[in-house]
Amino acid sequence: MKTFKTGGIHPPESKFTENIPIEVMPVPAELAISLNQHLGKPAKPLVKVGSEVKKGQLIGDADGFISAKVHASTSGKVKAVKPHPHPGGQYAVTVFITADGQDEWEEGLNTEPVDWHGFSKEEIVGKIKDAGIVGMGGAGFPTNVKLSPPPDKQIDTIILNGAECEPFLTADHRLMLESPQEVIEGLEIIASLFGAQAKAYIGIESNKKDAIETLSRLASSKGIEVVSLKTKYPQGAEKQLINAITGRTIEQGELPFDKGCLVQNIGTAVAIYEAVCKNKPLVDRIVTVSGLEIGKPKNIRAVIGTSFRDVSRFCGDLKDSTNQIISGGPMMGKALFTLDVPVVKTTSGILFINNTGIEKARERTCIRCSKCVDVCPQGLAPWLLANVAQFREFDEIQLLGLANCTECGSCTYVCPSKRELVHWIKYAKALVNNRQKRKSA
Amino acid sequence: MISEAFIPAVASLGSVALALGLIIFYVSKKFHVEEDPTVVIINDILPGVNCGACGYPSCGQFAEVLVETKDSSMSCPVGGADLAAQLSATLGITMAEPQPITAVVLCQGDNDTARETAEYYGIQDCWAATQTYAGPKQCRYSCIGLGSCIAFCDFGAMHLENGLIVIDKDLCTGCGACIPSCPTGVLVMQEKKAERYYIACNSHDKGAATKKACDAGCIACQKCVKVCDDDAIVIENFLARIIQEKCTACGKCIEVCPTKVNCIRLEHDLKEVKQKKAS
Ligand code: SF4
Ligand code: SF4
Ligand code: SF4
Ligand code: SF4
Repeated sequence: MKTFKTGGIHPPESKFTENIPIEVMPVPAELAISLNQHLGKPAKPLVKVGSEVKKGQLIGDADGFISAKVHASTSGKVKAVKPHPHPGGQYAVTVFITADGQDEWEEGLNTEPVDWHGFSKEEIVGKIKDAGIVGMGGAGFPTNVKLSPPPDKQIDTIILNGAECEPFLTADHRLMLESPQEVIEGLEIIASLFGAQAKAYIGIESNKKDAIETLSRLASSKGIEVVSLKTKYPQGAEKQLINAITGRTIEQGELPFDKGCLVQNIGTAVAIYEAVCKNKPLVDRIVTVSGLEIGKPKNIRAVIGTSFRDVSRFCGDLKDSTNQIISGGPMMGKALFTLDVPVVKTTSGILFINNTGIEKARERTCIRCSKCVDVCPQGLAPWLLANVAQFREFDEIQLLGLANCTECGSCTYVCPSKRELVHWIKYAKALVNNRQKRKSA
Repeated sequence: MISEAFIPAVASLGSVALALGLIIFYVSKKFHVEEDPTVVIINDILPGVNCGACGYPSCGQFAEVLVETKDSSMSCPVGGADLAAQLSATLGITMAEPQPITAVVLCQGDNDTARETAEYYGIQDCWAATQTYAGPKQCRYSCIGLGSCIAFCDFGAMHLENGLIVIDKDLCTGCGACIPSCPTGVLVMQEKKAERYYIACNSHDKGAATKKACDAGCIACQKCVKVCDDDAIVIENFLARIIQEKCTACGKCIEVCPTKVNCIRLEHDLKEVKQKKAS
């Protein structure tokens, strides 16, 4: 079985929701649609308080090259446009829409599927851009930009990421089982942009046997190879996935296209299919709602902008013993301070946790056990990065490969001294950034 | 008794040492650099903390440039007027007197006044806390109160008190090193004055949101703006600001401010007076 070369861990999988079919969550009475659901510059608002909007109508326009469009995810009236907490850990300008209950699509959107083979490359990329599609695995990089690498970079490998290596999360797993046809078509559309020499793969962790079978059956006739990967975290991280499937290594400062690779997420592939064939902008996504503290763990299809509070109500409410709510997976997700944050394009999961008993804030000194070095998939020395960050040596820390850390959290997970290794690394990144900003200002 | 073998060893080592000594003597004579005595004198007068507030990386470089250019507009805010006078005397020019400035905290959200959103048990540092929202306090414009800035102050002028940073106005030299070290930007430099009113709040949230988050927050109620006869108070983006040039220190505004802990503060003769109204 294939896997990446360096490091990795195997936390408890906790995939409680893997056999629960996706349930469509009704559109709530009020939506909060963030204009910053992607990497890059936030979108420019196009609506004002009082504007009437239709489902799928453009409400935020891409601002600059690396940015993405944002659409209304139901029909109704704009109630406010103001900063609001975002599940990614910051505040962002957000459009509040009071739903009119009709959920009425704008003319010409969400049509009967058409055959995409007649479209030119430009048309396909244009449709993806107009649909506001971003990487739905978590990073939120605008997909149309990722699909247009510089002309001197030859893409020969296209990988669909079905690893879903984060514990708890099953959104991609369910999507592969319930919409395999769309997944495959999405991948074919992506592959068609890079010509016949590009080979397409779907990488799936071996703990999802049913998904591997379902997709293999459909893929074999299309020249797509389904690769069974070892169940190991972070198998689904871009660099690790490329390494597992092709054996190539993305060095510091390189991007996947430098090694001829392109990785897309399962959810993104389905969104691409819907955008190209059905003219449907990205207005909903699959979210795993899990953890031991939620009444009924579920996989739901929620419209973008649904608040976590409505989601928790829909899933049988959280228990009183909940003391941590996480957006995303337990390894890389963000802890939230309020349920009043909206589902965004990158929200793969919402977890309700009780972590009493887990030691808090008791960092002890490093005992040089080297466990963190063993598990770091990027081949770094996390203990050293954390030490150097602690002493604020921000020139040295960059030489130690700070930028290469993917913040996967494996090091913090294994450290017997409970050191907050990733937190120190994020802290150093924030300060290095601040210094650079000041220098250029 | 000294053994026979000892003598040649001492002699050879001695001659090597002598030869090296001569070389060093020659080199030091040949490459001797004349050090400007004025630079040495000036360097001695300067505070010697290398804080960078003058725009040069060290006091030594400031001294060199000053002696070379005799630019009277160069100033060291740390040394203040006294130093300017000394420099003027030494160099025989009239140095500009630096405007005395001081760091000010635009926040009064301590553990009693500001409400928290969540329990934060990560790394105890303001920058680390801002990795998830703006730290544990509800107000995202506030002083986070974990003291990242303290390490940047060469003069020991900062300390934490009840979850809020406090600046000792007598120790603060106005070097400005702390300003960029703060992730939320609640530290600003302001002119020193014998009597100075300022709004100690940094929140651009709307009034209702500010009130919910903090007892000492400016709710942009306009009361102070209306009462000020000198048009010295403006409200920008839900936050009042006192224009120091226009303020005559009449003190009327502080009377009308309706917040529980007055968000307008008076700094008296550089000593802080905490204006807590009986609530
Ligand atoms: S968080 Fe960074 S340093 Fe730690 S294991 Fe992951 S890549 Fe390595
Ligand atoms: S795992 Fe923790 S204790 Fe072990 S070497 Fe790394 S930092 Fe040190
Ligand atoms: S002033 Fe800024 S850096 Fe200092 S404790 Fe407050 S938030 Fe932290
Ligand atoms: S508080 Fe300290 S660092 Fe800040 S301006 Fe005053 S002396 Fe400089």
